Amino acid sequence: MIQVSHLSFSYTKRPFIQDMTFSVGAGEIFGFLGPSGAGKSTLQKILLGMLLGYQGSAMVNGRECKNHGADFYESIGVDFEYSTMYEKLTAKENLQFFSSLYRRQDRAIPELLAAVGLEHDADKQVSDYSKGMKSRLNFVKALLHDPKLLFLDEPTSGLDPTSSRLMKDLILAEKRRGKTILLTTHNMQDAAELCDRVAFIVGGTIYALDSPHNLTLSRGAAQVTYTWLDHGEQTASCPMDKISEDSLLHRLIAENRLQSIHSSEPTLNDIFMEITGRTLV
Amino acid sequence: MKAIRLSFFQMLKFVSKDKMLLAALLAPLLAGSAIRFGVPFTEGILTRVTALPAILSPYYGLFDIFFSSITPAMFCFIAAMVVLEERDDHVDRYLFVTGLGRNGYFVSRIGLPALAAFVVTAALLPVFRLAALSMWSIILLSLTGSLQGIIIALLIVALSSNKLEGMAITKLSSLMMLGAVTPYFVPAPVCFWFSFLPSFWVGMAVYESNLVYMLPSVLIAGFLIWALRRSLDKKQ
Repeated sequence: MIQVSHLSFSYTKRPFIQDMTFSVGAGEIFGFLGPSGAGKSTLQKILLGMLLGYQGSAMVNGRECKNHGADFYESIGVDFEYSTMYEKLTAKENLQFFSSLYRRQDRAIPELLAAVGLEHDADKQVSDYSKGMKSRLNFVKALLHDPKLLFLDEPTSGLDPTSSRLMKDLILAEKRRGKTILLTTHNMQDAAELCDRVAFIVGGTIYALDSPHNLTLSRGAAQVTYTWLDHGEQTASCPMDKISEDSLLHRLIAENRLQSIHSSEPTLNDIFMEITGRTLV
Repeated sequence: MKAIRLSFFQMLKFVSKDKMLLAALLAPLLAGSAIRFGVPFTEGILTRVTALPAILSPYYGLFDIFFSSITPAMFCFIAAMVVLEERDDHVDRYLFVTGLGRNGYFVSRIGLPALAAFVVTAALLPVFRLAALSMWSIILLSLTGSLQGIIIALLIVALSSNKLEGMAITKLSSLMMLGAVTPYFVPAPVCFWFSFLPSFWVGMAVYESNLVYMLPSVLIAGFLIWALRRSLDKKQ
């Protein structure tokens, strides 16, 4: 669906995106993770055909992004981080207008509004919507023409836990419908939960690219931490793959003296910091 | 084409809800009436009072040039304000990545209003003109006026980041029309210092009664439109 090869781009004389190579298969959710200014949005703009002066190759749906024709966007849906609605129009008027710009209008507006719980607010002006409602409306706007490929930029940013959960469920539902989804985020939990593969981007360079599971496993085993009472609460831990060699743990189990025991894997955030030396803020 | 047409209608709907922009649409009729009836009336008074044979009438061609610039300037100003409002709402960037596309967006927001301005100017100029104008003069004045309108709209959109800045740029960019005055009041070769302005050549064409001077105006306007469009593409 997407093939990027030796992609470089610069706004000034200083390189901003450097020699990126990756591909995204059909039906995959692929995440770009990185702090602000890492190059995620620039990369997204290149793939959307909005920045043309790049070197290397960036192919979307078999077409070079800088040479795209008028129908390039017929198979692409975009959900920007910020609201992209006419504030003075109602939700329904907005969706009707944006839908009319495509040749295909495969998804019914009432159904889309119902899917995100906005069916009763369809005739309300967008300026009266909350941030969560705008985000949901923005998301369904990207689905109006039932595109094969979805670009989602920070889809859960600033949402309360309930709206965030709803948004993630919507994204997973679109994946089940066979869509390829390109997700840009700095929320590691979302990435771990949603993405089949992620790329860590810092300073315009991809530092790592794999599934969240493989990235987690490749960087240190999970730890087992346990506590027991011995003149106050004591704590010890050992790597999961060395558990059979921990004689203290064996003894505590045999004597039924364990107070608590739990395992903990490194988070994607830990892995990101370890690989890139950066945090995501 | 369907997306461009619907996007243009969307803009008209948007304008119909904005009283200030709607009022700007009436400006050509008001200015035309003022020129057609006010100027000869004033000329009559002035010549009677001063006993001079002519005061304003040698400049009637100049009034026609201004009228041919007003409709495109107003239409394109309105369009530029809509673009700035859409930029504030981040809608423009979204429209770039729809079936409309970036080119379609600019055609619907600036190209079609300029085309409409051309038609309206060509229709109103015979009604409100002061000088004797041939059909070709009317067509070429409408064309150069519309190209100037596109330049003004692109200048506003390229140089301002919100509607307030847009208003200020509108006032500045309207000075471009003053190039038409120089052939009348500034002797050669000094007047040629203004030859980089498309309006200067329009002034020359009317002043010299030679439509060939319209050609450099069209060429310069074409170059400016191309350069401003490139600058806009780089900006986004």
